[in-house]
Amino acid sequence: MKRKDTVKLISADEMEFVIDKDAVMVSQTIRNLLTSPGGFAETKLGEVTFPEISAVILERICQYFYWALQYSRGKETEFHIEPELTLELMMAANYLHT
Amino acid sequence: MNERKTIDLEQGWEFMQKGITKLKNILEGLPEPQFSSEDYMMLYTTIYNMCTQKPPHDYSQQLYDKYRESFEEYITSTVLPSLREKHDEFMLRELVKRWSNHKVMVRWLSRFFHYLDRYFIARRSLPPLNEVGLTCFRELVYQELNAKVRDAVISLIDQEREGEQIDRALLKNVLYIFVEIGMGQMDYYENDFEATMLKDTAAYYSRKAANWIVDDSCPDYMLKSEECLKCEKDRVSHYLHSSSEPKLLEKVQHELLSVWETRLLDKEHSGCHALLRDDKVDDLSRMFRLFSKIPRGLDPISSIFKQHVTAEGTALVKQAEDAASTKKADKKDVVGMQEQVFVRKVIELHDKYLAYVNDCFQNHTLFHKALKEAFEVFCNKGVVGSSSAELLATFCDNILKKGGSEKLSDEAIEETLEKVVKLLAYISDKDLFAEFYRKKLARRLLFDKSANDDHERSILTKLKQQCGGQFTSKMEGMVTDLTLARENQASFEEYLSNNPNANPGIDLTVTVLTTGFWPSYKSFDLNLPAEMVKCVEVFRDFYQTKTKHRKLTWIYSLGTCNLIGKFEPKMMELIVTTYQASALLLFNSSDRLSYSEIMTQLNLTDDDVIRLLHSLSCAKYKILNKEPSTKTISPTDHFEFNSKFTDKMRRIKVTF
Repeated sequence: MKRKDTVKLISADEMEFVIDKDAVMVSQTIRNLLTSPGGFAETKLGEVTFPEISAVILERICQYFYWALQYSRGKETEFHIEPELTLELMMAANYLHT
Repeated sequence: MNERKTIDLEQGWEFMQKGITKLKNILEGLPEPQFSSEDYMMLYTTIYNMCTQKPPHDYSQQLYDKYRESFEEYITSTVLPSLREKHDEFMLRELVKRWSNHKVMVRWLSRFFHYLDRYFIARRSLPPLNEVGLTCFRELVYQELNAKVRDAVISLIDQEREGEQIDRALLKNVLYIFVEIGMGQMDYYENDFEATMLKDTAAYYSRKAANWIVDDSCPDYMLKSEECLKCEKDRVSHYLHSSSEPKLLEKVQHELLSVWETRLLDKEHSGCHALLRDDKVDDLSRMFRLFSKIPRGLDPISSIFKQHVTAEGTALVKQAEDAASTKKADKKDVVGMQEQVFVRKVIELHDKYLAYVNDCFQNHTLFHKALKEAFEVFCNKGVVGSSSAELLATFCDNILKKGGSEKLSDEAIEETLEKVVKLLAYISDKDLFAEFYRKKLARRLLFDKSANDDHERSILTKLKQQCGGQFTSKMEGMVTDLTLARENQASFEEYLSNNPNANPGIDLTVTVLTTGFWPSYKSFDLNLPAEMVKCVEVFRDFYQTKTKHRKLTWIYSLGTCNLIGKFEPKMMELIVTTYQASALLLFNSSDRLSYSEIMTQLNLTDDDVIRLLHSLSCAKYKILNKEPSTKTISPTDHFEFNSKFTDKMRRIKVTF
């Protein structure tokens, strides 16, 4: 897998998730970050840290990204959300604009 | 993210301020490390949190205001002072740089503050962050400086017009600011820059034109104008906005061309008249190209063109008249030559100026019209008493008949006929032409003088196309009649071989014509010699077998006869008209006859008898001896058969 096509998402508790760039672009916030002018030293490496999102939530969010991609390509399945995660997940979604 | 600490406005803003300052430093070119993604997220998160906190700590409104204030502060403290202290080209460069920076700043800050766009702004229908940012620049920088900028740009444009090199890329960028600042509207560009630029352009070219019109000839002036228009067009493509092109070109055209058109065209030695006179095709083409873009710019040109062609045509008419009047009146063929030459020259004139209309004037209807009107004026003038209709008919006759004065190849004939038909369009009295043409056609057909059947048919087709079927129906009938007559003759000969008693003993050829088609011929009751009377009866009987409903009227004046004359020196064959033959055959039964006897026996008028006898006794071949042998016929003359008559040829044609 090419380096360029992936992005690393790091949670508050320092868990790392390596995700395809396509998937990550589902989040408007992350998309803005990666396409900002001026260029970051680190966008080239493609790492983003989220000091306020826990690993559990971040994991679920990554799964959501992939599901969203599939859905947009025609595979209409359901995305199940465990009730106890709902609030945090919603807030994270709001934050990430996704 | 469960228990978030409430961020206080002061605190939060302090943190944001650090980020903003970092951004400013980067833009100013100060040594400052780039933003890391962590920095970015922190800034974004701070805003996010401050907006999602519970009231009264929900600071969306304040953050929105502070966003705007950040720009205002930066502009007033740093950007404006740096621009104010510079001038002209340096100021323009600084402006371009500052604008570029500003756009970057807007992009960054609006990303950080993005959360506001999503809810706060949407809910209250406020201007979005992007717009707020650009508006700050417009209200603070643009408003103050746009006039200065505009003047600096126009000054550079004028320098370039005078031949200096300028930085085109710079101008392009500056003018693009005018466009971008409108955020989709062209108003700023048009009102704050374009209007003044156009005025300045008009003034510039007005000055130039005033000088050039005095010093330069018409072709030179036009060359310069064309050059200027090219340059301005070039200017647009390099740094002006494309929407300026039509307006700019219109201004230049107005100042250089519209204003001075009359004076330019009327220049004595180089104006339109002179160019036409000297066949300056390139200059005329240029003139057309330039003036076709101006409303009603072509009218004066087409009018001068028309005058010129009319004058040339009228001169040809005068030339022909003069040439004809200097020749002796009785040299008929020489006079005829002049008329032929005249028609040829008119055709050439037409060709020449039609080419002008097609090439220089790009087939424009205005010029076609001018050409047509010009030709109509002089084509309807007669020459030496002959109307133009007659001249054209004679011209055609010369081409189509055997031994005509025009010796041309088949192609050349077709071409010439085509052109003659075109000229016919200009003649007002087309019916007169038809009459003359018909008369001459009849002569060609009846006396077998037509050189080529295909050409005859071809010109009829062309005439039909030009003037309609009605025009040519009779002529076509005439040509068809001849074909039918040949068939008829063939069946007559068959009839004779089947009925040997009916044979009159003389070879007879009859051409049957349909009355309506042919010109009217007077038929006189000529007293035919007995032999011929029999012929007439035989044919009449034959014709009755074919149709019972037609009446035959005999036109003896058109007939020809081959006689064998037994003269003492030798026998000779004489080709004469039926009238002449009838007169000569009288001398088979009498040696000597008087004028009145001949007249009574033949039953002709005085005019015909005089003419007849003249051709036989006073002209080239004296077949009859006249007493007294004067040069003219009088009613008291007597005539005898001239047995001593001879000629070196065995076969002669005696003209009537």
